[in-house]
Amino acid sequence: MSVSSQDLFVRRISNDIHVVAPRFHFLTGKTLERLHDGALLPFDFQLSIASGTKSNTVARAPERFLVSYDLWQERFSVVRLRDLRKSPLNLSAAAAEAWCVDNVVLPVSALPGANQLWARLEVRSVDQRTSAAPAGDAGISIISLVELFSRPPRPQQDHWSLESAAFHLAELTP
Amino acid sequence: MKFALLPVFAAAALWGQSIQSAEESPSWDPAGDLNVNSRYTVESISFLGQHHYKLSSSALEEMHRLIGAKLNTEALNGLAKRIRGELRAHEVTFKLDRGRDPGSVRVLLEVDKGSSSFDLSVPRFAYNSELGWTGIGEASTAIHDNVLTFDLVRDVDTLAERYAGIQARYDRLSMGSDRIRLGFEFDAYHEQYDPGTRLALDNSTLSSSLGAGLYRSRLNFEPSATFVLAKPLTITVGLSFEQLQPELSAARSESANAVVNTLRYHQRWEGSGATKQELDAGYSLRAATRIFGSDLGYTRHTVNVRYGYTHDHQSVEVALVTGIIYGHAPLFERFVLGNSTLLRGWNMYAVDPLGGNRLAYGSVTYGYHIMRVFYDAGSVWNQGQSPEAKQSAGIGISSGLGLFQKGAFLLAVAFPLRQSHMDPVLIAGMNF
Repeated sequence: MSVSSQDLFVRRISNDIHVVAPRFHFLTGKTLERLHDGALLPFDFQLSIASGTKSNTVARAPERFLVSYDLWQERFSVVRLRDLRKSPLNLSAAAAEAWCVDNVVLPVSALPGANQLWARLEVRSVDQRTSAAPAGDAGISIISLVELFSRPPRPQQDHWSLESAAFHLAELTP
Repeated sequence: MKFALLPVFAAAALWGQSIQSAEESPSWDPAGDLNVNSRYTVESISFLGQHHYKLSSSALEEMHRLIGAKLNTEALNGLAKRIRGELRAHEVTFKLDRGRDPGSVRVLLEVDKGSSSFDLSVPRFAYNSELGWTGIGEASTAIHDNVLTFDLVRDVDTLAERYAGIQARYDRLSMGSDRIRLGFEFDAYHEQYDPGTRLALDNSTLSSSLGAGLYRSRLNFEPSATFVLAKPLTITVGLSFEQLQPELSAARSESANAVVNTLRYHQRWEGSGATKQELDAGYSLRAATRIFGSDLGYTRHTVNVRYGYTHDHQSVEVALVTGIIYGHAPLFERFVLGNSTLLRGWNMYAVDPLGGNRLAYGSVTYGYHIMRVFYDAGSVWNQGQSPEAKQSAGIGISSGLGLFQKGAFLLAVAFPLRQSHMDPVLIAGMNF
C-alpha cells in the first residue's frame, strides 16, 4: 500500500524534524475490529530522509507504537515503546494515528543543510505470531527495527509508504 | 492428563469492587501492561460460541487466578498458548468485551482447530524397578471432526502378560451432535511371559480358571460408540473381536469376541475459597459369548471410583477398584495387583503370576504441595479361594496440580508391608 507524495508534509519544531500526514489512516478495517475487541496492536514506523537522490538515505528514525482501545471510554491510547511515552487516554482513531506520526522525530543536526531532501514515512503492522519481540516487550532495539525495515514486508503484512515533495532544510522555519 | 469438562467458565469474583463510572476509570500504568484495558478487572473467561472443551485441572486453576484480577495481557497470552497445546488447536486467541459492571471486562477465548493438524506425543510413560518400563508413542492427526491415531506400545505393567505392538484408531468426534462419537480400533500385539507365569501355568490348580493357554500374539478389532447421556455421564457400547494365536503353531487360534460397555461419570466441584473436589467413577462390562462366534465364554465386571479433595496445598485422594470374572477368561482379561498404579511396591508376579478372577483394592493418597504419601491395600484371588489382603505404602513427589496426579510427573518409592524383607520399588513416570 502506498500514499502519494502529496500526503506527507515536513515541518521543523525547534531542533527536530516532524512529519504530518493528515490523509493517512491505518486504524481501519480488520485492524480496527481487533482493537475494538481489546487487542493490543503494535505498529512499526520509520521516518527516513534522503539527500541528493531519493535512494541516498542519510538519516532514519525507527519507532514501534502499541495501540489499544479502551472498551469503556471508547477511546484509543498509544505507547511509544522506546521510552514508554504514552499518549493522552482519550484519542479518537484519527488523533491516535496523528500522535504516532508526530512522535517519529529526527534531529535537524542529522540532515545536510545544502542538498535537496526527501522525507519518507514507512509503516508496517506487526504480525504478533511471527514477531521476534512480543507486543509487550519493551526491549526491542532500534537496530532490530532498522533491520526489520531493511527487509520487504511479508505479503500478509499491512504496510504503507508515504513520501514528501522535495525540500531544503532552509525552507523549514523553526 | 486429567481433564475436566468446561462448559462455560463463568465467574464473578468481583465482590467488594466498587462500581465505577467511565469518568472514574482506574488509572493505567503503561510501565506495566501496555494495553489500556489492563486497568480493568477480569469478570469472566469463557469460550466463544458456547463450545465445550476439556482442559487440565492446572489450566482451569490458571483461569481462576486471572478472574478477579486486573487484566494481564501477558498472562492471557500464556493461557491461550497453554490451551492451544492442550486442545492441539491451530490457534487460540482472545477477545475482550465489556463486563456487566463498569470497570470490568469479559475475556472470550476463540479456538481455531484448523482444517487439519498433526501431533506427536508420549501419552504415557512409566518405569517400575521391578517390572521395567512401559511407554506409548503416539502420532495423531485431526481433520475436522475426524481423528486418526497410531500408537507404538510397550506394556509390562498393566496385564499379567507383557506385550508390545501397535494400536490404530479412528474417531469420529461428532455425529451431527457432539453427544455421539464413533470409534474403530485395531490392535496387534506380540506377547511375552514372566517365567513365574509359565511355571504357574503348569500348576493345573492355578490355571484351571484360565480360558486359554499362552498365546504369542493377539489381534483386536473394536468398533464402539459413545453417547453423552447427561453430562457428565457417558456410556460407551461396542464389540471387541479378539483373536489369540497360540504359542504352539500347530494349535488353532482362539477368539474372545465380546460386547463391551462402559458407563462413566466425571464431575468436578469448585467450592468457595481454595477447595476443590473431583469424582471419577466407571463401570465396565465385557461379555464374551458364542453369539458373536467366540470360542471363550466369560463375563468381566469392573467398578472403579476415585475421589479427590483439595484445600489450599493439601489434597486427599481415595481410590477403590473391584472386579469379578465369571467363566473362563483369557490372561489379558484377568485382574492384577502389584504394578505402578495398583498395590504399588509389590511385584505382580509375586502376588499372583496368572492374575485372578476376583479383585478388591483401595488406596489413600495424601498430598502437601508436591509431596505425596500413599497407602495401598488389596487382594486378587480366584473363585473358591480365600482372599489374602496385601498392603503397601510409599512416598514421592508429583509435579501435577491435578487431583489424581495425571498430566504430571510422579517419582515415588513404594514398600510392600510384610513381616519378612522389605524391598523398595522405584516408580517414575507420567500420565499413569
